[in-house]
Amino acid sequence: MPATRMSQTGNYKTTYRQDQGIFANRKELIWIVLLLVALLLAPLITPRTMLRDFDLIMIFGIAALGLNITTGYTGLINMGQGAFMGVGAYAGVVAANAFNLNLFFALLFGGLSAALIGGIVGLPSLRLKHLYLAVATLAFQEIFTWGVGHSRLLAQGGAIPAPAVSIFGFRDSFLTHNLFWYYLILPILAFLVLVWRNVLRGKHGRSLIAIRDNDRAAAAMGINPATAKLTSFMLGSFYAGVAGVLLAYFSKSVVIEDYGLDVGIKVLAMTIVGGLGSIPGSVFGPAFIIGLDRVMEQVANWLGGLNLFPSGVDVATALRPLSFGLAIMLFLMFQPHGLASWWDKLRQYVTRWPYKS
Amino acid sequence: MSLLFQLLAAGVVTGCIYALAALGFVLIYKSSRVINFAHGQLIAVGAFIALALTQRGLNFWLSALIAMTLTFFLGVVIERFFLRRMVGQPIISVIMVTIGLASVLDGLMYLTPYASSNNSYPVNFTGSISFAGISLSSAELFAVAATLIFLGGFTYFFNKSTMGVSMRAVSDDQMAAMSVGTSVQRVFALAWAAAGLSAAAAGLILGLKSGLSLAGLAGIGLKVFPVVILGGLDSVLGAVVGGIIIGIVENLASGYLDTLVPGGGTGAVLPFAVLLVVLLVKPYGLFGTKEIERV
Repeated sequence: MPATRMSQTGNYKTTYRQDQGIFANRKELIWIVLLLVALLLAPLITPRTMLRDFDLIMIFGIAALGLNITTGYTGLINMGQGAFMGVGAYAGVVAANAFNLNLFFALLFGGLSAALIGGIVGLPSLRLKHLYLAVATLAFQEIFTWGVGHSRLLAQGGAIPAPAVSIFGFRDSFLTHNLFWYYLILPILAFLVLVWRNVLRGKHGRSLIAIRDNDRAAAAMGINPATAKLTSFMLGSFYAGVAGVLLAYFSKSVVIEDYGLDVGIKVLAMTIVGGLGSIPGSVFGPAFIIGLDRVMEQVANWLGGLNLFPSGVDVATALRPLSFGLAIMLFLMFQPHGLASWWDKLRQYVTRWPYKS
Repeated sequence: MSLLFQLLAAGVVTGCIYALAALGFVLIYKSSRVINFAHGQLIAVGAFIALALTQRGLNFWLSALIAMTLTFFLGVVIERFFLRRMVGQPIISVIMVTIGLASVLDGLMYLTPYASSNNSYPVNFTGSISFAGISLSSAELFAVAATLIFLGGFTYFFNKSTMGVSMRAVSDDQMAAMSVGTSVQRVFALAWAAAGLSAAAAGLILGLKSGLSLAGLAGIGLKVFPVVILGGLDSVLGAVVGGIIIGIVENLASGYLDTLVPGGGTGAVLPFAVLLVVLLVKPYGLFGTKEIERV
């Protein structure tokens, strides 16, 4: 697990107020505000098709942040994040269709349903550790996929349309679809990041990290491992549920293919590529993986034009898993702390320039 | 009653293939504590190599032999280049490397025309044997026989050969094995090699029995999880017993439960339900070693 990262050696906090603050210092707050302003202005200069990828990055960023809570901060391996997204998406969309809920209640309902299921699936984590838990979540994912595929209520995994959304008089239309969702998802992501940062500085967040580092020692310090593990699972799946509802609304319908085992593995890969136990990493990871997908589409187009391969071979279907797998393996072998550690190194380099860090 | 016997027999056949697939998985876990998510892909690679060779006009048995030799070395290469770097890393990183490997192997197979179509080996395995109301095709009988031969061979290897004994020693206590001069690296490499070989064998047998498709072959990689959890992750005997039990469960479910559930397909999901129950009740399986944690 990544070591604690500090921008400077030593701890310069002199009051309890400082130690308990959400933000490390005023400088950080200023940077965050500047970043948010930049993100709000970003659609002005990005083409519309790229905006779609930004939306997807933010949606998967929420899911990856949730997985980071469970896996990165608490150390419980969860391979079923796709299923938790699915629970949220189905609960949110079906409830919204049935009771005419608006988007925010759908998000809340989807997230809470996912959290409830997450609590149940997390139960084995009280007895099992490490890879046994990974296998248990894998089994849950398989059962979920099968269950949805065999239930008439959920159209046997076929498309269930999500209701159209309008907020403050703005409506989701064909031309402004990506832009509309950009401004809708961004505040949700920012809010969820803030919530997690806030949890992290208090007792509950810190007890999760203690459980990750050594659960016996944590228990000896008076932390209840059972509560902490279940909290972590529920919180992680709440985030997944919200991401699932957003994905369903964003793609205008919910289909089982969007919530399969491969999605859970993709989110896990995003979390690892971004950096386990890092908030900025939770967004870097999705950006990297989705960006890689786009680049590979271009490469596949170019390679396909060269006629190097025998007929019956679709270069794009081959390149996608190939590049995805290579990226994960190379990151794990050469950069196990993910993109977040590059980010930290860059920050240190800038702050310490002209000295060597 | 004859339906029951027929289902049981089919279950044993499926179970034998699962056992063979789970064998390699257990070998890797037993020696190096690595969960191999790329096992299904190894199975598929072996089966497709043999297919490519037979389609070039080579004799089936010869190409099967070549395929098994190649996957043997593929196992060695994988261990040498990817897994050896991961020794001592957190468990999630090791799992993720094998997932990445699965993805890479998938991609490589998609570069060949075999991955996106259904094929079968151009060999004739016709005819069937029936007794007491049970009928088994000769491909199925061959599957059982081949599995038994392989399992026998591996058992002999573990109990009689020096390398097999040192593999058992490493899985028992790595430090102690090292201190008496066993090369742990060699054992890890051999475990992957043996896993590659048995995976290819499983792929070949499955291909003979029910045709070759990437989804069907690589899907076995997921189906071994119920098998090995039930049998115990580090037990070779457990892999065999677990495989046969899961095979029987699967066939009984699709024989009796499918009519009750709209859409059917209970055989695919019930093993995973069994897995969850086993994990909750008896996490180390039927024959697995209990992990003892010291603080």
